[in-house]
Amino acid sequence: MSSDLATELVEELNCETVFTIPLFGGIKVMESVVVTWIVMAVLILIAFIMTRNLKTQNISKRQAVAELIYTKLTGMVGNMLGEEGKRYTTYLITVLLYIGLSNIIGLFGFKSPTKDLNVTLALAIMSIILVEAAGIYQKGVKKWLKSFTQPIAIVTPFNILDVFTRPLSLCMRLFGNVLGAFVIMELLKIVVPAVVPAVFCLYFDLFDGLLQAYVFVFLTSLYIKEAVE
Amino acid sequence: MISIDFWNIGFTVINLLILFVAFRIFFFKPIRKIIEQRQAEVDAMYNEVTDKQNEANSLKLEYEEKVMIAETEKKQILSEARKSADGEYQHIVTDAKHEANRIHRDAVAAAEHEKEEIIGSARKEIAQMVVEATTKVVGSKAAAEIDSELYDKFLGKAGE
Repeated sequence: MSSDLATELVEELNCETVFTIPLFGGIKVMESVVVTWIVMAVLILIAFIMTRNLKTQNISKRQAVAELIYTKLTGMVGNMLGEEGKRYTTYLITVLLYIGLSNIIGLFGFKSPTKDLNVTLALAIMSIILVEAAGIYQKGVKKWLKSFTQPIAIVTPFNILDVFTRPLSLCMRLFGNVLGAFVIMELLKIVVPAVVPAVFCLYFDLFDGLLQAYVFVFLTSLYIKEAVE
Repeated sequence: MISIDFWNIGFTVINLLILFVAFRIFFFKPIRKIIEQRQAEVDAMYNEVTDKQNEANSLKLEYEEKVMIAETEKKQILSEARKSADGEYQHIVTDAKHEANRIHRDAVAAAEHEKEEIIGSARKEIAQMVVEATTKVVGSKAAAEIDSELYDKFLGKAGE
């Protein structure tokens, strides 16, 4: 029983290769990438449908919802970024929506892309590149390099370490949360098959999924804000 | 479970960038554009309303000014009319006074003239009477007698 459970879990956790592109000795395309395509397709389709026939007056409900989402998200992320970092709002909203939908897509029978370490790693790498790029853009290379010695020279190693630990923590936090939630849910389903998983599903799959998306974006924007100040 | 595959990371990065660009095109740009457009429309409307209000205010001021001018003009005309009426009145009164004075003077002069005339005619009559009396006396009596009689007669005549 327990070994069955273990193999089942491992199987669920393993990111399978969906197909292989016969280039450079075979490029493996993972399940997470394919599900990411689905997530992208859904998001783009929704965005596309939402923004048809926009008017300035007598707006439809669809447009009202689209504008509400736009203003709320822009306001929320924009506030986190501060005045100097406002230009990165659109990217962070995209990431927020992507992680959010990726985390809850498990409800529709797909394997969440964020359950794959490669995806969260990619997200974290992009975040840290954005953070450092924002710092260089705002301050110039010289001042950016100098900012590593701030506030005093002795913290320089730690500041350099930050460049690596920040994305690592971002990546592992997201991955660990989604993985942990998934494992708990699977165990619950085996122990109590009825009713109880539904309640926990609300917390782990919906609430925690969206919360982790928010946390990821929140931390990234915090880093950007710090970098551009 | 934890395997790092660089192609996979690369795919995810590309996917994210594509999603980002697609979102910019399909979500952020149209909505931002429409919100800005609406803002512009509202601003234009607001400006128009402000302009209209200013216009209305200036018109109101203009009219108030006009009314004020009319009011002062009215007052001026009234006072002028009153002044000219006063002048006329004074003129008429003066004229009337002059006329009255003239009439009075004429009347006095006429009365004086009449008086003189009466006195003149009385004198003439008296002289005639004196002549008559003298003639009578001279014709009937002599000297002293005549004198006293004459005198009495004269007195009597004069006393009549």
